[in-house]
Amino acid sequence: MAIKHVIIGGGTAGWNAITTIREIDGGNSEIILVSDENPYSRMVLPYYLSREIGESHVFTASETRLGQLKVETRLGRRAVSLDPNANKVVLDDDEEIQYDNLLIATGSSPVRAPIPGADAPGVHSFWTLDQARQLAAELQPGTRVAMIGAGFISFTILDSLVQRGADLKIFEIAPRILPRMVDDTGAGIVAKWLADKGVQVQAGAEVTSIEESGGAKVLKFKGGPDVEADVVIMATGIKTNLEWLEGSGVEMNAGILVNDFLRSSESNIYAAGDVAEGLDCVTGEKAIHAIEPTAMQHGRVAGANMAGVETVYSGSLLMNIVGVLGLEIASFGSWDDPEAEVIEAVQPDRPAYRKLLFRGDRLTGAIILGSEGDVWTTNDVGILKGLVHSGNELSAWKEQLRKNPFDVKRAFLATGAAAALLPKTLLGRPSVPERDIAVSS
Amino acid sequence: MKALKIIPENCTGCMRCELACSYEQTGTFQPSKAVIRVSAFESHTSYSPYTCPQCAEAWCMTACPVEAIVISPAGAKDVVNDICVGCKLCTIACPYGTIFYDADLHKAFKCDLCGGQPACVSACPRDAIFYEEVQVTDWVGPFAAERAQAPGGPLAVGVN
Repeated sequence: MAIKHVIIGGGTAGWNAITTIREIDGGNSEIILVSDENPYSRMVLPYYLSREIGESHVFTASETRLGQLKVETRLGRRAVSLDPNANKVVLDDDEEIQYDNLLIATGSSPVRAPIPGADAPGVHSFWTLDQARQLAAELQPGTRVAMIGAGFISFTILDSLVQRGADLKIFEIAPRILPRMVDDTGAGIVAKWLADKGVQVQAGAEVTSIEESGGAKVLKFKGGPDVEADVVIMATGIKTNLEWLEGSGVEMNAGILVNDFLRSSESNIYAAGDVAEGLDCVTGEKAIHAIEPTAMQHGRVAGANMAGVETVYSGSLLMNIVGVLGLEIASFGSWDDPEAEVIEAVQPDRPAYRKLLFRGDRLTGAIILGSEGDVWTTNDVGILKGLVHSGNELSAWKEQLRKNPFDVKRAFLATGAAAALLPKTLLGRPSVPERDIAVSS
Repeated sequence: MKALKIIPENCTGCMRCELACSYEQTGTFQPSKAVIRVSAFESHTSYSPYTCPQCAEAWCMTACPVEAIVISPAGAKDVVNDICVGCKLCTIACPYGTIFYDADLHKAFKCDLCGGQPACVSACPRDAIFYEEVQVTDWVGPFAAERAQAPGGPLAVGVN
């Protein structure tokens, strides 16, 4: 009998596991996908919000395509419990599904600040397609939008909101913006850039409640004047969707603990993406990296192992990139490591910043800011990623970088980073574009 | 598969590859839009071009959330502009630093081997770039390491 894979969650991790299994087995197994939503890419929702792309563009797989890939679906369903001893999951319609291999890829959900009025109509989260639809429908040129939170999620939709003509104000409770993506210097450059472009961002602003007044929302602040808005967006963080595993016996810390094969404490249960606490390739510790590239890599490595191709994962690299009104902001690895040796420089005449963090001769973290139109920025984003990814010893180049932290490309070339990277693959097999994956009937 | 082979020792830094590349890719001469890019060593007396190795597992392609990166008939990983949304994920997934974001078009761009007739190869007057059946390797690393330490190089003792 064909082996039976059950995938819980149709986001990036689940979808990549499915395509990888099919790349390897050509259809020679049973796959059941349980997903609350039709599979789509969260990453592109900002472009749907801005109306640069239509809704059909966000889906990663139609039901027809899933059928072609011989994936049986339970769409609109959620898993509610797991019994590893019986190899069984139970869905919210009481269906029980047996599995040989299970992948838990249930992702994260947005959380709202715990203040009065946070759950009232007209207060939005921006996480799911449905939430994107609701927000997109409310935006008109001149709509007064108050966004609570100035972190990564908030900044991924900043451009979209401006493009839609929103009158945008952003409030962050922390003393500065992007607290989990860049350092103080970086945040200062971003804040100045946005102020120069006329976007109001206020850090250290604590919203205490959201009230209604004459059809508008009124944000009350601790020690500050009220702000009126037509639309409120709460971009105040996410939490992993693990509640349904309570009592299952699967070993968890902040996430499901997985080994180098993405296996949990149960050898036939895998976890991938935001719910998985796996190896960080820079620190060697376990961590949750709730980012798209990690979800993709976890999905592919878990999929390969589920399909019987033993594949060791070398760990994920924390990284984020976001552009706001033409300013590129990216950070890699342990960019906030307090014990690292730091080399940094800011161009005095324009927004260009490089911060390099070293442990010994290895670059273990980096921050880069620069104008998107600046050739130097476009060159260095990938180069810095590559230097951290390669783990190369920069040796004598470290002293050169101390003289000029912008000289990273030559350091990359001359330390043979490309040679180190060529054998560092994920699955060690040529990738196949998803649309070219063929399945025998 | 045919691939770009670079012999940095032959490069004179004339930048014709960058010009030809940008002209082929964008219809204008603008090295900032070239996807083969020349670096200088030894106080601008040694040069080498560097571009996408078209790696088999294709970090950019697997990272793309909308399947905008395809394998062209020439075997290049190629960005389909109509599908790319400009999310930049590929630019941080690629560890080679060879896929870029175009701030004018709001799209990613990279070497597509010019459909099998690379403009950089025909533009190079000094046999520094070839397009042939070859195993891709780190063409530039050993040269760059040596030139960096040579007199006048950034790592040379007693200079700068």
